[in-house]
Amino acid sequence: MAEVAYVKASRIFSGNPPVRAVDELSLDVSDGEFLVLVGPSGSGKSTALRMLAGLEDVDEGAIKIGGKDVTNVPPKGRDIAMVFQSYALYPHMTVAENMGFALKLRGVNKAEIKEKVAEAAKMLDLTKYLERKPKALSGGQRQRVAMGRAIVREPSVFLMDEPLSNLDAKLRVETRANIAALQQRLGTTTIYVTHDQVEAMTMGHRVAVLKDGLLQQCDTPRALYDKPANAFVAGFMGSPAMNLKTVPLTSEGAKLDGIVVPLERHAMDTASAEGLNEVTFGIRPESLALVGSQHHGMEMTVELVEELGADALVHGAVRIGASSERFVVRVDGRTPPTLGQTVKVAVRDATEIHLFHPESGFRLTN
Amino acid sequence: MRRFLDRHWYAYAMVLPVVVVIAVLVLYPLAQGIFFTFTNINEGNIANPVLDRAATYTGVGLTNYLNVLSGDPSFGSFWSTLIRTLIWTFGCVLCHYGFGLALAVLLNRQVKGRALYRVLLILPWAVPAFISAFAWKYMFNAQYGIINQFLRALGLPDPIWLGQSDWALVAVVIVNVWLGVPFMMVALLGGLQSIPGDLYEAAEMDGASPWQRFRHVTLPGLRSVSSTVVLLGIIWTFNMFAVIYLITGPNPNTRILVTYAFERFFSGASRDYAVASTYGVLILSVLLVFASVYRRALRKQGEVW
Amino acid sequence: MTVEAASLKAVPATRPQRKRSERSKAASIALHAALVIASLIAVFPVFWVLVTSFKPDARAVETTPTLFNESSVDNYVRILSGDKGDFLAWFGNSVLIALMTTVIAVFLSATTGYAASRFRFPGKRSLMLSFLVVQMFPFAVLIVPLYNILLALGLQGTSFGLVLVYCTTAVPFCTYMLKGYFDTIPTDIDEAGRVDGLSPFGVFWRLVMPLARPGLAVTAFYAFLTAWGEVAFASAFLSAADESKTLAVGLQVFVQQNRTEWGHLAAASILVAVPAIAVFYLVQRFLVTGLSSGAVKG
Repeated sequence: MAEVAYVKASRIFSGNPPVRAVDELSLDVSDGEFLVLVGPSGSGKSTALRMLAGLEDVDEGAIKIGGKDVTNVPPKGRDIAMVFQSYALYPHMTVAENMGFALKLRGVNKAEIKEKVAEAAKMLDLTKYLERKPKALSGGQRQRVAMGRAIVREPSVFLMDEPLSNLDAKLRVETRANIAALQQRLGTTTIYVTHDQVEAMTMGHRVAVLKDGLLQQCDTPRALYDKPANAFVAGFMGSPAMNLKTVPLTSEGAKLDGIVVPLERHAMDTASAEGLNEVTFGIRPESLALVGSQHHGMEMTVELVEELGADALVHGAVRIGASSERFVVRVDGRTPPTLGQTVKVAVRDATEIHLFHPESGFRLTN
Repeated sequence: MRRFLDRHWYAYAMVLPVVVVIAVLVLYPLAQGIFFTFTNINEGNIANPVLDRAATYTGVGLTNYLNVLSGDPSFGSFWSTLIRTLIWTFGCVLCHYGFGLALAVLLNRQVKGRALYRVLLILPWAVPAFISAFAWKYMFNAQYGIINQFLRALGLPDPIWLGQSDWALVAVVIVNVWLGVPFMMVALLGGLQSIPGDLYEAAEMDGASPWQRFRHVTLPGLRSVSSTVVLLGIIWTFNMFAVIYLITGPNPNTRILVTYAFERFFSGASRDYAVASTYGVLILSVLLVFASVYRRALRKQGEVW
Repeated sequence: MTVEAASLKAVPATRPQRKRSERSKAASIALHAALVIASLIAVFPVFWVLVTSFKPDARAVETTPTLFNESSVDNYVRILSGDKGDFLAWFGNSVLIALMTTVIAVFLSATTGYAASRFRFPGKRSLMLSFLVVQMFPFAVLIVPLYNILLALGLQGTSFGLVLVYCTTAVPFCTYMLKGYFDTIPTDIDEAGRVDGLSPFGVFWRLVMPLARPGLAVTAFYAFLTAWGEVAFASAFLSAADESKTLAVGLQVFVQQNRTEWGHLAAASILVAVPAIAVFYLVQRFLVTGLSSGAVKG
């Protein structure tokens, strides 16, 4: 059990110009916490995890595990266990040998290794497969062996690098829940890397969003969703993605097609202080609603209807100024509009509007 | 510096033994060999620790190079030997590659007894070269050789294979091809197996004929393995001395650069180390020039190694 | 599922149309014919040596060769009993030298190949290029300087000196081959090992080496053959005493000025070829994967 801290840690890949894969990352993870690192590919999330594992050099700053500076400690001295995306099971060892290898290296006696392996195998429903080689296992079983190998160690920190991305969709959802439950039960600090924002939202106590090596925001899933710190986080978290459009600003509010959406005072003040005449206007699909033609709203031509069962996603074109912009609206699944139809779209609740600086992307709304 | 060592020390520790062995047993002898080319060293004037005799050879400047490059027959007719070496090298490697590729393609199919065919076809590689040389020398014998008996039975002319004629060159090329095909075949078979099957399926969907599939899927898929093994094949064949030397001995019709160097080295009482070394340096230079041209050509096609 | 598969298989037999994977009869015959002819050419010289090895020297040079001609095992008996030189001693020397070369060359090329495959270190490129250049050496011409240096190291005339020389010829190619093979082992395995508590050397020794067995087998085969069949260095660097010769050197006694004892030479050749072929048979199933991954990646 231990807390983990990145202290302005950077990883710089040589090249011309050098690439700052992870740029002055500062992050505190408390003991027993499940922290998810999420971001698009190339955001540096895996590099950040590998720095913590000791598989990647820390070029600047420091990394601490349990209060101890481990920046220059090799992986074996860090008391960590890692689950790899490819699982990285040792092909020439049986499942039991794979799981017990770390203990064997530490010189734990055979009986104890056997007992611990058996215990972990039972927890993961692997008892039947202990004598098999990884080659003879299914994808899901291999994934569980990789988990088992980490658990048997009883490390102070678990590191997981996209452990579910090689599973099929159904198994992924199932395993997602299992991992979260297991972590809950063991109470071990866990750092989990994924590119899938659904995994991030459902699993993490807190989620850290990275982009281009820079930490964008680190908060609970709820807070990330409700109050994204910038336009990138707003667009990245949530599926389907938030509608983000640059719109002109008037003294009454943001000007969309035919309507002016009134904005909260704080945002207006900040915008005028910055001298902005445009803002990035963000609204989630579920914060928009279709309204009757007698109401005020934007006119949208329906271009695509995705029926998801419980609800439907309506994609359509709205004119903003001279250009036509695409919006997505989440509507009741039973009464979706038809293709080509023109509907009226209104904002459900003005407090669900997110405003961002059009250039820097920073959040203007409270 | 500390950090540099910290990061790389185990890499250096792992390559160090090889670097030491190579430096001592290759670089130093090479330097000494190059030095010899500027002297008149031979068996008569070299330092001989057994007889406790000091070295008496002297520097002769570029004389050795001038003698050799003049193409003088008493110095091995360098230019015509070089041409024969090139014929030998490219003839052999072309056959190695052609037969190797053909056999690899055949073996890469689903065919009954594939494992057996493979073992039999690789066998020539497993036989020590000097034994293969004996075997072929025996078979090529003009009187009692099985090959001529076979040719006679078919009513074909039966040449004196290993005499003073170009038939001798044909004979050693045949032997060397026999020796070298298995290596190519195995390497190319591995290359073929690494080409994903769905590429062939995609090509078939696009309406490619078997020949077009070979031309546009197989050959490009083998590009990188081919470029490596062809280069190695050329280098090895260029320097292949055992086969020629053991089968035809010092026959001027099969003389290539490396066998002449060896002849010079071992012939007569006054072993001419200086000229032999000069030949060695020239061989190395030719290969270096060739390899860099080859690399540049590959790089132009976007292949990097 | 199994039922379905079985019924699917049964269908094409009743259908006139050919299954995709089947070849026409003619193509099949042509394929086998080509392979049979190639195999015959590959095997025949060895077969012919075997046939000859049972004939007396005089019968081996008859103008109309036959399969059997006063054939017996006399040649073998005479060679093994030491009539024709100390064959068993030569054999022992060759085995010792070839095995030492194999072990040392495999070890050296494995460490180097691993470093080249896994670590980025300054000088790596030039190291690999220098290996290519070493391949170009006309080694035969370096005998005098090599002799001098072995003498200076006190290794001239010893088996170990010869082994080192063989290593320099075998290691560069072996390193290329093994580097290629190591490249096919995912680095994730190394990292998992590091996290599990291994040092970089531990990863190499306990994970990568066991996983690279096919590649190592091919490397060993190559190194073994390099040493087993070499003539020039062996005659230059070993002492002239009969009992310290290797097979390749010793066998020259059958090739006199104008007279070759073909029967004896053939029998001795078979005895020499047997160990090489045995080693070959042990590794042959690894050859394709082991060699190609090296060659593919270069």
